[in-house]
Amino acid sequence: MSAIGKRKLIDGAVALGLGAGYTTWLLRTVQDLGYARDEGFYFQAAASYGRWFEQLLADPRAALARRAVDGAWSANHEHPALIKSLFALSSTFLQKRWHLFAMEGSSYRFPAMALAGLAVALVYLWGTEARGRVVGVAAALAFALMPRVFFQAHLACFDVPIVAMWTLGAYAYWRALRTGGALAPLAAGVAFGLALDTKHNSWFLPIACAAHFLALHLWAAVARTRAGALLPRPSVDLPVRRRAFWALAAMGLVGPAVLYALWPWIWHDPVARVREYAQFHLNHEYYNMEFLGKNYWVAPMPRGYAWVMTLGTVPGITLVLFAVGLATRGRVWLGGLIDRLRGIAGPARRVDAAGTDLLWLLALVINYAAWLSPRTPIFGGTKHWMTAYPFLALYAGVGFDAVVRAARREAFRLRARRVALRRLAGSAWAAASLLGVTAVAAPLVETVRSHPWGLSAYTPLVGGAPGAASLGLNRTFWGYATGAVTPFLDTEVPRGGSVYIHDTAGPSWDMLQRDGRLRKDVRGVWSIAGADLGIYHHEKHMLGQEYQNWLAFGTLRPAYIGGLDGVPVILVYEDPRVRARAQSQKP
Amino acid sequence: VKRLRWAFLAVPLLGLAELGAHLWFAGRPPAFDDWFALTEPVRALKQPGDLVVIAPAWADPAARRALGDELMPVRDVARPDVTRYATALEVSILGEHAPDLDGFREIERRPVGRFLLRRLANPAPAHVVYDFVDHLDPGAADVRGTDPAVPCLWNPRATIAAGGLGGHPTFPAARFECPGGIYFNVGVTVIADEEFRPRRCLWSHPFARGEIVTRFRDVPLGRVIRGHGGMYWMVERERKGAPVTLTVRVDGESVGSVVHRDGDGWAGFELPLGAHARARAATVEFAVSTSNFRDRHFCFEADTR
Repeated sequence: MSAIGKRKLIDGAVALGLGAGYTTWLLRTVQDLGYARDEGFYFQAAASYGRWFEQLLADPRAALARRAVDGAWSANHEHPALIKSLFALSSTFLQKRWHLFAMEGSSYRFPAMALAGLAVALVYLWGTEARGRVVGVAAALAFALMPRVFFQAHLACFDVPIVAMWTLGAYAYWRALRTGGALAPLAAGVAFGLALDTKHNSWFLPIACAAHFLALHLWAAVARTRAGALLPRPSVDLPVRRRAFWALAAMGLVGPAVLYALWPWIWHDPVARVREYAQFHLNHEYYNMEFLGKNYWVAPMPRGYAWVMTLGTVPGITLVLFAVGLATRGRVWLGGLIDRLRGIAGPARRVDAAGTDLLWLLALVINYAAWLSPRTPIFGGTKHWMTAYPFLALYAGVGFDAVVRAARREAFRLRARRVALRRLAGSAWAAASLLGVTAVAAPLVETVRSHPWGLSAYTPLVGGAPGAASLGLNRTFWGYATGAVTPFLDTEVPRGGSVYIHDTAGPSWDMLQRDGRLRKDVRGVWSIAGADLGIYHHEKHMLGQEYQNWLAFGTLRPAYIGGLDGVPVILVYEDPRVRARAQSQKP
Repeated sequence: VKRLRWAFLAVPLLGLAELGAHLWFAGRPPAFDDWFALTEPVRALKQPGDLVVIAPAWADPAARRALGDELMPVRDVARPDVTRYATALEVSILGEHAPDLDGFREIERRPVGRFLLRRLANPAPAHVVYDFVDHLDPGAADVRGTDPAVPCLWNPRATIAAGGLGGHPTFPAARFECPGGIYFNVGVTVIADEEFRPRRCLWSHPFARGEIVTRFRDVPLGRVIRGHGGMYWMVERERKGAPVTLTVRVDGESVGSVVHRDGDGWAGFELPLGAHARARAATVEFAVSTSNFRDRHFCFEADTR
């Protein structure tokens, strides 16, 4: 086997191992996590699509009739179909036929978990191909060990899937710049189509790629001028601009075709329905979100939201490495200019012809750019710009690599003094492992400890969960924390009793019961009046719900509190009469 | 650059510092069950009339779970403000203090494990002669509508009603029920104000026409009638509703009116009683009206001091 083939085989195996390992980790922790509000709606949609798939297998002619298509695919048609289709197929085949999961809910969640694994693998591959294995491994770990990514990666939602698809699309575009032939642009087009059929964040992908295409032209144009001497030169001469054009063209042509092919809802009235879909997201209503003690529910939204939340939720060491990575690559690009300003003749600099640094930077910036506008909603918290995180992680990988190189240089300089330093200087992996432990320790511990309170977890930069609560940063949303109180409910709710489920969606509550995580006789109800127990998920704008419990039960004393690091996230109130009755019936 | 040769060490140091900081921040607050250790110390330190306040406010549920309704009753937790309290007992963690008690003077402090208990004195407490919210019962009050003239009957065992997600606050079992639907009642409830803080008040949704009048008999008066009015913030923040007028009458004479406009939030008022001041027994009426009664979830509290 050639050296290149061997390298590809190793990288493929490492990517597979990282991706499969991450998915396995998610599968092993998924049972602890309650179902988010939106998941409940996607379960319903996926069930509808699943019935259509079964009809398609049994009677294709009937299934393809407009009435059948529209009937099945109208469910949740404000979002495209790919991921919900995967939820449906996973539930239909992996669970109902092959019984692979302990819980039905996990079967719906599995495709998103697998795509999370794909995202980790892609980050590794891209980092490795562009900048070496140390970068690849460090970037993959930096991405995987972001507590918010870990939380979202469990859910039967589209937020981590679009991260995977967006990265796949950008990676395919990048590959198309480095590889000749028709297959690579075609792959970029298909990947973009899959992203389009995943979530509307995909609309930013061609913008990033087109901006990169223009940047390549600008680079080439400047290189032809006197100022060109200030910029690095491509390391090899590749027709990247022509290839970028064809990749973009394929994305423009193939992408929409893939969307059309995989989204039956738009088959029979594509223009009107795509317009309706776009309008829904371009004019999305505002929901509530607490930020620095203020509840935002209508524009203008705070311009600092994305930045502060990134600082507060991405591990600090990852951000430091990102900054080091950015500075390292910035020095390569701006080194000529700096040398000129310092009046010295520095070495000629070369970078890869595909302009990888520019693409990563543009992808990062464009995924954040929408939150520069005060009109952009913020209700989903960090998941809105999570598509930027693979690129943040890739730069963090570059930063880590720079640190490893610096450490090895010093070890080499001092190699005569200690045997250990000689070994460190001699092996990239020895230095990387040693430094890696220190760089990964905090993100790993923060991620592990965040579960199953992912949306309550904050980094030490804001004082962790307690500091964030004091600062007035959102503690939870989506009602998923119900999963953390089911053992208490199972014990406390009288037989056939009722629970006010607050922000838990009905289908999410049902899934907890279908999973066997909650007694089937416990009734979820929509009003606290007459209920035996009441749940309250803490969100600033929902505090009125807690007060409804006080008056209905005549007590301000929660029977149970769930939360992270002493910070209450979910409360359960109990009608004192119910408790007294239960106590009196105990032998 | 020679002096930056060792800069790479900042990364492992920062990584380990972050780990240490994470564990330190995570371990600082008491666990939820740790709050039970406070029950006896708080009981021992708290004097009658003391307001118990938790700092930071986010720890309030953990404190309520441990201390219970006796030490933290709804009257105090959902207070209109702190002016009426001569003393307060602040339970603090993480070195935080309650902004509500700014200006109070410390008179005693006692550390209890991770908690700090401080008794604080209000430099200028108000003397409340009569709290109207405390006296909403048929022995002291009645309720009626004026157009058409209808009585609202006291029902001590009404069906409790709560609006659920985004809905109206809970209507308690004991309330005056008026004709026209469940919204037309006067009872003690708790609304969320513009900061979503709890405010205990008298629900008083106006009718389509006329006034909904809550009358208190034999009220000993102070110099002023002071209070607050507002609506569940989710309702008034839209700023689409008609203004609501609260008119206060003493022995049939108006002592003032307050107009609540959407967006005012939990707004205070103070009406001097003039010649009625310090009367031993007066009849006080609170009349609520509006030009358009749609979604007018008005709720007020008042005392005389």
